[in-house]
Amino acid sequence: MTRDHIRDALLKIFSERFEIERPGLDEDLRDAYEFDSIDAIELLREIELLLGSALTREEKKAAMEIRTINQIVDYVMTLAASRPAN
Amino acid sequence: MNGAAPNCLEDRRTLPRWLAPVLDLAATLILWLYFTVGFVICFAPFYLLAAFRPGNRTSSFQRLNHLFYRGFFGLCRVIMPRQQWRIDPALKAVAGSVVVCNHLSYIDPLLLISIFPRHTTIVKNRLLSIPIFGWMLRLSGYLPAASQGPEAERMLQRLEDMPGFLAAGGNLIVFPEGTRSRDGAVGALNPGAFKIARLCRAPVAVAVIANSQCLFTPGRFRFNACRANTITVTLVEAFVPAYDDPDFSLKGLLERVRTCLTQGAQRLEGVKGTP
Repeated sequence: MTRDHIRDALLKIFSERFEIERPGLDEDLRDAYEFDSIDAIELLREIELLLGSALTREEKKAAMEIRTINQIVDYVMTLAASRPAN
Repeated sequence: MNGAAPNCLEDRRTLPRWLAPVLDLAATLILWLYFTVGFVICFAPFYLLAAFRPGNRTSSFQRLNHLFYRGFFGLCRVIMPRQQWRIDPALKAVAGSVVVCNHLSYIDPLLLISIFPRHTTIVKNRLLSIPIFGWMLRLSGYLPAASQGPEAERMLQRLEDMPGFLAAGGNLIVFPEGTRSRDGAVGALNPGAFKIARLCRAPVAVAVIANSQCLFTPGRFRFNACRANTITVTLVEAFVPAYDDPDFSLKGLLERVRTCLTQGAQRLEGVKGTP
């Protein structure tokens, strides 16, 4: 999974699930779009589908501090690297 | 206005001027006694039993909270006979839903908890830090409002448990305005409750409360026990939003619910004051 692939998948999720169109990659999602922890839980579900595996509690907790699309991409890259390739 | 909330009728003509405040104070003290001494004597032992009992502790606490507040409103009926209560029987059938309601008085959450035995709600973090009371709220499985700080992990856990809780027939009670209305008008709605509904694919039930602020007015210590008043709780609409429809939008859901709340509140304006 490349960085571009992950970024495009996330932007699609943000558009379809959260009605957030083309957010800036370094924009603070909480400030700009009121993206809160409830949204984060929903996003984590989508990330689980993207990765094809469930996230651990520690992995979910780590996601709660994330603010920008680029940080989410980094987060997903790290998760993907820690899992066996499909 | 003698401390009355907007939209509440002044109706104390049948009482001497000096008597109404005395009776209001007496009723208030009796209700506070119920909250303190009544709680310790009649309920605390059961809460302690539930706290140390194996099994579903949160469910037991929710039921005890429900019974405690039913007792509270039962007492209100006895000591404040000029208060009329009209609770829509359709509310009893609501289950597995996100119940959203307008907010006029501190007694509104208590009123809804007295209707739903299996419930949860969102509580402000400062309430969770109150000794004993905060402990009870935590053990009742209520959801912390803020996602930062020491309650963040608890909130995460509660949100993850929410789909199962709703699927098992529990209701999530939310006042999406976030604060009490001072003029009776429905304010802007916070999207949090509706995001949870979407997350859980849950039905939404819209309830409207009228005239609770006439009994316990924001900013006042005393209950207005002597004022003739009819408190109404009505189920305005219950529906399952089309979450998977490509045209579904959170904004659209908020707008629909706000329209329901506003129209419901306007309809109930007719029952205010003396029955």
